[in-house]
Amino acid sequence: MQRFEFYSAQSIQDALCYLSERGDQCKVIAGGTDLIPALRNEDLRPAYVLNILEIDGLRGIRESEEEVWIGPATPFTDMVESDVLNRCFPSLVAAAASVGGPQIRNRGTLGGNIANASPAADVLPAALALESELELQSLHRRRLMGLEKAIEAPYRTCFGKDELLTGIVIRKLKPGTRSAFEKLGRRNAMARARMNISITLGLGPDETISMIRIVPGAVMPVARRMEKAEQALLGKKANEALIEEASGRLVDEMTEVTGHRWSADYKVPVLRNIFRRILMQMLTS
Amino acid sequence: MKKRGIGVASMFYGMGYGFSRQDIGSAEIEICEDGSVTLRSGEVDYGQGSDTIFCQIVAEELGIRYDSIQLITADTFTTPNAGPTSASRLTYVTGNAVLKAARALRKNLQAIAEDFLDETDLLFADEEVFSEAHPDKRLSFSKLAKEGHLRGVPMMEAAWHDITTGDVDPKTGQGNAYSNYSYATHLAEVEVDTETGKVEVLRLIAANDVGKAINPASVEGQVEGAVAMGVGYALTEEIKQEKGYVKTKNLGEYMIPTSLDIPEVETHIVEVPISSGPYGAKGVGEPALIPTAPAILNAIANAIGVRVCELPANLENLHRLIREKEKGDA
Repeated sequence: MQRFEFYSAQSIQDALCYLSERGDQCKVIAGGTDLIPALRNEDLRPAYVLNILEIDGLRGIRESEEEVWIGPATPFTDMVESDVLNRCFPSLVAAAASVGGPQIRNRGTLGGNIANASPAADVLPAALALESELELQSLHRRRLMGLEKAIEAPYRTCFGKDELLTGIVIRKLKPGTRSAFEKLGRRNAMARARMNISITLGLGPDETISMIRIVPGAVMPVARRMEKAEQALLGKKANEALIEEASGRLVDEMTEVTGHRWSADYKVPVLRNIFRRILMQMLTS
Repeated sequence: MKKRGIGVASMFYGMGYGFSRQDIGSAEIEICEDGSVTLRSGEVDYGQGSDTIFCQIVAEELGIRYDSIQLITADTFTTPNAGPTSASRLTYVTGNAVLKAARALRKNLQAIAEDFLDETDLLFADEEVFSEAHPDKRLSFSKLAKEGHLRGVPMMEAAWHDITTGDVDPKTGQGNAYSNYSYATHLAEVEVDTETGKVEVLRLIAANDVGKAINPASVEGQVEGAVAMGVGYALTEEIKQEKGYVKTKNLGEYMIPTSLDIPEVETHIVEVPISSGPYGAKGVGEPALIPTAPAILNAIANAIGVRVCELPANLENLHRLIREKEKGDA
């Protein structure tokens, strides 16, 4: 059993003070669904654990005219049940609903899923395809950072040691824009993603693709947008041949990143299939 | 594309150990002066429900409440050997020992009650013994127990049940290997996603011949649990090894199905009593599991024309087989 100092911050300021002095050896805990197993397995040996779950200002979903703010300590269950998110970002809701099981969704949080930066994180592809921005605060600084810049490597973010993720901000989608998410797991609950994918799609009045963001998850060390596939589709009217071409570029781009591994025999054709299927559904819905 | 198929599989299964291997069960029942009843047996109930079944058997024979019976099991210091919990044998083998002991006690009690009530048409029910023709002639079970002790009639009986069979002919392999057999047929309907290899089990129907369902709810639970296990066996459960080392570390990696992976199971309890089982009962533990995976694999074959010969039929394995078939068809 590990020994560490456990501190429950009561305000953002309180948490930032704590981090400013101990950030080097401190892990932040919210739901703990990733951290607790890591502590038990002794993968991590922090001297301090800072609990942020009691800070009211880090929880909740707020809508303004332009954007939606989500507190990092908001559990997945609250996201799934949020009217705002169901209306604005169905893909994010679908991703949150695909996490673990009810117990995990009651504990696990959006901020935790982002900060843990697992390659198989369920919510990351959806959050990336929505161009989420992260609000980071330290004692003396507050900054916004695009989510796509935040994850450097598997399980590693570029957050400063004294910084706390204090909000996730997503701009509302323009009319005619839709978002979708699909997860493929080995079973229908409590499953790590074998792969997942999220797409945000904007259609112009003449059905041309005016905007598209494609983010597969669990197939590369760090989830990111697949620009070659996006470029193949952008400004064009979708048809079967075009989608076929885009799907080819998508898996080529993935293979460029990962190299041809043993798992590619499955991942390449199936990612292609799932991409085609979900895009067709979005185009015809 | 998502394709649906239906598959059926049937099985028969020998109960107990068979092949002349030792197969015995035993039990002791004691009635105290206050009428409390204690059952001792070396049986182990690790969830399959034998504790309940044995108390039901004692209750049925003595006309008492099944939850009033004190049960002491699986203690080598105090309980007689009932053999292992395996081979779907406890109800079938040790259940017979319990039944024998209970009937021996009832015979002792009956003799006292006949003398006491001066009637022979006696029924044991609701913690009482009474005359069928003259129901006003009755005696409480505790009074009867007290009377038994006062008169020095044995208020404890032990029984032993042996179903050890002969062996088959060593030259031909022919003969009756088991004391008796259990039968089952399961039906599965699946939907196969040919693009991902994911199988969704849509419907499961399980018909098991249990001889006699001593506890129908327990049989249903046993069958549903076994069917869920069969779904995992067919589709997801796998222990990976590398150079003899087990690489599947925990239940996060060993994929047992969740409740969202199991459809509602339609259970049909088939009762064809056999004379060698207590009240005609057979074991249902393993038989309920056996046909599930083959039924699912038959349903997969029916859906997409692919035969799975290596388990599990998980995402990668099934997707590979589908692609091999597509290449062969092309």
